Amino acid sequence: MTSAKNIRIAIQKQGRLQDPSLNFIRSLGFEFKKEQLGELIIQCTNAPVEILFVRNIDIPEYIKAGVADFGIVGENIIYERGERYNIIKRLGFGKCKLIIASPRESSLRTIENLQDERIATSYTKSLQDFLRQNNINASIIEINGSVEITPKLGLSDAICDIVQTGNTLKTYELEPIATIFESEAVFIESPYYNKKKNIILERIQYGNSKTC
Amino acid sequence: MTKKTNKIIEPKILRGTRDFLPEEMARRNLVQQKITSVFERFGYDCIDTPAIEYAETLLGKYGDEGSKQLYRFKDNGGRDIVLRFDQTVPFARVVAANYSQLPMPFKRYQISKVWRADKPAKGRYREFTQCDIDIIGTKNLLAETEIAKAMLAVFEKLGFKEFIIKINSRRLINSILDSLMVKQEDQPAVMCALDKFNKIGRAGVIEEMKLICDEKTIENILDATLLTGTNSEKVEKLEKYDIQEVKNFLRLCSQAGISETFLEFDPSLVRGLDYYTGIIYEVYVNGVDIGAVCAGGRYDDLCGLFTQEEFSGVGVAFGFDRIVVAMETLGLLNDVRLNSEVLVIYFDEETLPKSLEVWNQLQSTGIDTEIYFEPAKLQKQFAYANKKKIRFVVLCGPDEVKENAITIKNMDTGKQKTIPQSQLDSYFKGYTNL
Repeated sequence: MTSAKNIRIAIQKQGRLQDPSLNFIRSLGFEFKKEQLGELIIQCTNAPVEILFVRNIDIPEYIKAGVADFGIVGENIIYERGERYNIIKRLGFGKCKLIIASPRESSLRTIENLQDERIATSYTKSLQDFLRQNNINASIIEINGSVEITPKLGLSDAICDIVQTGNTLKTYELEPIATIFESEAVFIESPYYNKKKNIILERIQYGNSKTC
Repeated sequence: MTKKTNKIIEPKILRGTRDFLPEEMARRNLVQQKITSVFERFGYDCIDTPAIEYAETLLGKYGDEGSKQLYRFKDNGGRDIVLRFDQTVPFARVVAANYSQLPMPFKRYQISKVWRADKPAKGRYREFTQCDIDIIGTKNLLAETEIAKAMLAVFEKLGFKEFIIKINSRRLINSILDSLMVKQEDQPAVMCALDKFNKIGRAGVIEEMKLICDEKTIENILDATLLTGTNSEKVEKLEKYDIQEVKNFLRLCSQAGISETFLEFDPSLVRGLDYYTGIIYEVYVNGVDIGAVCAGGRYDDLCGLFTQEEFSGVGVAFGFDRIVVAMETLGLLNDVRLNSEVLVIYFDEETLPKSLEVWNQLQSTGIDTEIYFEPAKLQKQFAYANKKKIRFVVLCGPDEVKENAITIKNMDTGKQKTIPQSQLDSYFKGYTNL
């Protein structure tokens, strides 16, 4: 079913980026069978294009290794890996921010206050870089999920996490101190994909055509 | 410390030798670790040789000046002994004695002390450290390329931002001098004069060369060797000489990812020692005026005096002391600390078991931790921590013991913080620059 000649786009398997990613692929004029969704790889019905469904954080690895030619991924994932990818298009969805926040009643209100404190996060590299730039040393507690609860539990003094609406912060009575970066979904290409002319780049560049 | 009454010997050391106290030694160790890590990344294995050798092994290998500077003495058994003067001659001896067992080509690094009875001066010592890499048993220019790449990697690893690896070819210089009709026997003196260009300038070089050749020849030599422009522009200007080796070398370097920002072809580069036969190198660091920090090149017949076998090789010596000075000057060693990161306070007898438990907890986590040996006043224990530049002091007094907590004091910022004892390891493990 899959072929080496196909152009392969990696997108998120589960989560908030999947639907808008599929919509974007559709908007380029590529069609696929709805009933196939749920499979790990599907072939577009009207073009030599495959869609590969993988975990969000693995997308850069697929791109870097050259097994996917393009990918749709949040910039936050790229920043955290500390790597550079050629961004072909910013997609305007999946907008979020990586922020540092502390409990509302806490005395930690500035970046300087964070010196020597415990900060829980899943974004250890981004946080570490940010602290280094600001000349702050602190203890980074690596937590893989539900970071927002850790100050209440006495495991951390502040958190560093992705926020979209800010509702979670409100629920857990957390107040932002600093924004590390803003992020949105981007369309990236593999450094190994060097065919200058291809159907994907053409359609992104010259607008979409439903006929092929 | 108890005072004794017997006769005191003045605690002095020989001229030209040095004691290194912990802070300086910490910096030197860090530099050495970084350099060795790069050597090992390129697949160089370490060897060592004795500090003492039979006099006949080293005598006559370093020219008249060198022989005078050998430390030579009779040992208790009446043997004629010399101290290691450099690492190259002992290396040649090792290869001659062991080549059948060694992998060929053979790549080795060696970092050890050498002794020279030289006149001590600023930056010149009678006991100092040499740091060499050599590849023997191949004439392929890939060896020169790898050495250049390793030099680049070392200086990058040490944190230097602006430095230049200057390269030239002995074959090229000889070909220039030959075609300008400089007599074979005059060539070493001409090269020696050219070598001083940076020290004595153009006028000085001309003055020295006047003793050897006529003005027209001098002008031609300087025209051919003092070139400006990019590496390829210089190569182009020298097409009529034996430039092929330089061309091939520069091509390989570029393919190996050595940027021209760090690699400069300098046709006036000579290198003092006359045993070089091919590509030669010197490294200079911008912003520090201490001359070359690394130098070397291709030589033929390394072991000629010890065996009939011929071994061509290429190698460079890193000026360890100069590199340390350059890094200190540029502030690259400002943040080097001593070995303890955490001092556990000995509060009193009652809380000592808890302090020992915490000490053990941190030790098992791999945090460099020590415990104070006396239940002294906190002030005194803090002062000890400051003197040893220990960053954190950990305290478990009666309050902490009651709460199963620990108080951590950052000695740099003065900030104090109490956390559950169970979180102590993750606190330090996650600390950003520990």
